[in-house]
Amino acid sequence: MRPSFFHHLHPPTIPTEQARWRHTLGAGGTAVFLMLILGMTGILEMFYYIPTPEEAALSVQTITYHVPFGGFIRNLHYWSAQLLLIVSAVHLLRVVFTAAYKSPRRFNYLLGLALFILAILLDFTGYILRWDVDICYPLLTGTNLLKTVPFIGDFLHRLAIGGGEACTNGLLRMYVWHIFGLTLPVIILGIWHAFRVRRDGGIAVPPPQVRTDNARISRNELVRREVLAMFIVGIALILLSIFVPAPIAAAMTEGTTLAGEAKAPWFFLWVQEMLKWGDPFIFGILLPLGILALIALIPYIFPKPADSDIGKWFPKSNRLAQITIGLVSFIVILLTLLANAN
Amino acid sequence: MTQISRRDFLKLAREGFLYLSAALATGSLLRFLSYAPASEQKTEFDLGSVDNYPVGSRTSIPEIPALLIHAESGFTALSLTCTHLGCTLEPNNNGFACPCHNSAFDAEGNVTQGPAVKPLRSLRIQITDENTIIAYTD
Ligand code: HEM
Ligand code: FES
Repeated sequence: MRPSFFHHLHPPTIPTEQARWRHTLGAGGTAVFLMLILGMTGILEMFYYIPTPEEAALSVQTITYHVPFGGFIRNLHYWSAQLLLIVSAVHLLRVVFTAAYKSPRRFNYLLGLALFILAILLDFTGYILRWDVDICYPLLTGTNLLKTVPFIGDFLHRLAIGGGEACTNGLLRMYVWHIFGLTLPVIILGIWHAFRVRRDGGIAVPPPQVRTDNARISRNELVRREVLAMFIVGIALILLSIFVPAPIAAAMTEGTTLAGEAKAPWFFLWVQEMLKWGDPFIFGILLPLGILALIALIPYIFPKPADSDIGKWFPKSNRLAQITIGLVSFIVILLTLLANAN
Repeated sequence: MTQISRRDFLKLAREGFLYLSAALATGSLLRFLSYAPASEQKTEFDLGSVDNYPVGSRTSIPEIPALLIHAESGFTALSLTCTHLGCTLEPNNNGFACPCHNSAFDAEGNVTQGPAVKPLRSLRIQITDENTIIAYTD
């Protein structure tokens, strides 16, 4: 039989260590599962969602309150999106803490980072699609922030919302970015990322010479574990979606922006907090991009982890990378809590 | 000058052609995506009769948003759009505060607390022959 993409990702046997929960935390696989849910529920929402300023918020209300199972579908979409960001962050931390980014996996590390950024942008554009009173300030400040970039600011602003003022204009652009402009790259990079995992020799584990456990598990066992993980995450999603509804607010009409939420969506609260410190371009764009660049450079300019340490939790030889990513996470969480407190 | 073989030349030409096409296509795509239609944003606001705003009054006009001030010296209008990133300011006892990143302005529109650095904009005002007030945001 000709091997399919499924067989490429599921070889006849793999080392037991590569498939241990405590080794991978199952985070990457969970992210794939969440993206599949997002794709399916997103397409279902498109049957009712109307991307015009007059009707968008009303159509979300229709989905939520009138369409049979509409509220449930919308909640699934919302909760998968929020969980995706958390799971992707956990996945990134796992990769750094187990020194799994070392060459030949350097390039795939960058692919993964790009996917994380795209997921954040998808979450933001999706949130904007609600087009209710609560989305106005985040959209306005976010797009005005783009304008502060020297030389290309106006260009970026038009690219994002197609000119005009945020909150009266921009919905159509946000919609097309959400369902196509950002989703298509996610699909392409996502498939590439998964393909590279196997190409680079599977999940990073210590090389065979220093491996203590040489047991292997079969394809069937691997699939069994994947299905089990999907089942658990699926149950969690269903429970969340039944008991905790996605946020919704009144439709925007002229002059109602004053009543809107001034807080950014939770994953951008840390940037909102930094914006209070001074020049918007420096604190809102350069600093976040600098942090991103630092994370991207870990496999390239940080001390190289020893070969025998690859795939072990918290090995000595990549301490600097662990401390860096740990500090970044700590600061981002701290800023988020600060912004949320006031 | 060193001779280059026909094969190398063709390879160079082929690659040059490919990269050039890719660059042109990308440039065109970006220009295509960055078109901004002429703004339909309202820039002229009719605020009604002068008599509605007695001397000493400070009236909030949410649709602009702005504050119309009638002092002894005449009418002025202060934009209530925060000069930091554009949220709408909320009036308080000392002046105005921004709900987004805590900038504050005094009653004359000067910055009293960052991150904003520019003072609030004064809007152009016109009083027509029929004694109605028009404010312009451009
Ligand atoms: C990684 C992928 C994705 C993320 C992170 C994401 C995120 C979001 C979020 C946070 C919302 C707002 C939900 C709410 O607050 O109610 C949203 C709405 C929406 N999304 Fe997605 N989405 C993704 C993929 C997709 C895809 C693939 C489609 C369609 C093909 C789609 C279609 C929609 C539609 C139509 C809405 C508007 C309805 C609503 O607000 O409930 N999304 N998305
Ligand atoms: S928009 Fe007013 S402080 Fe940032």
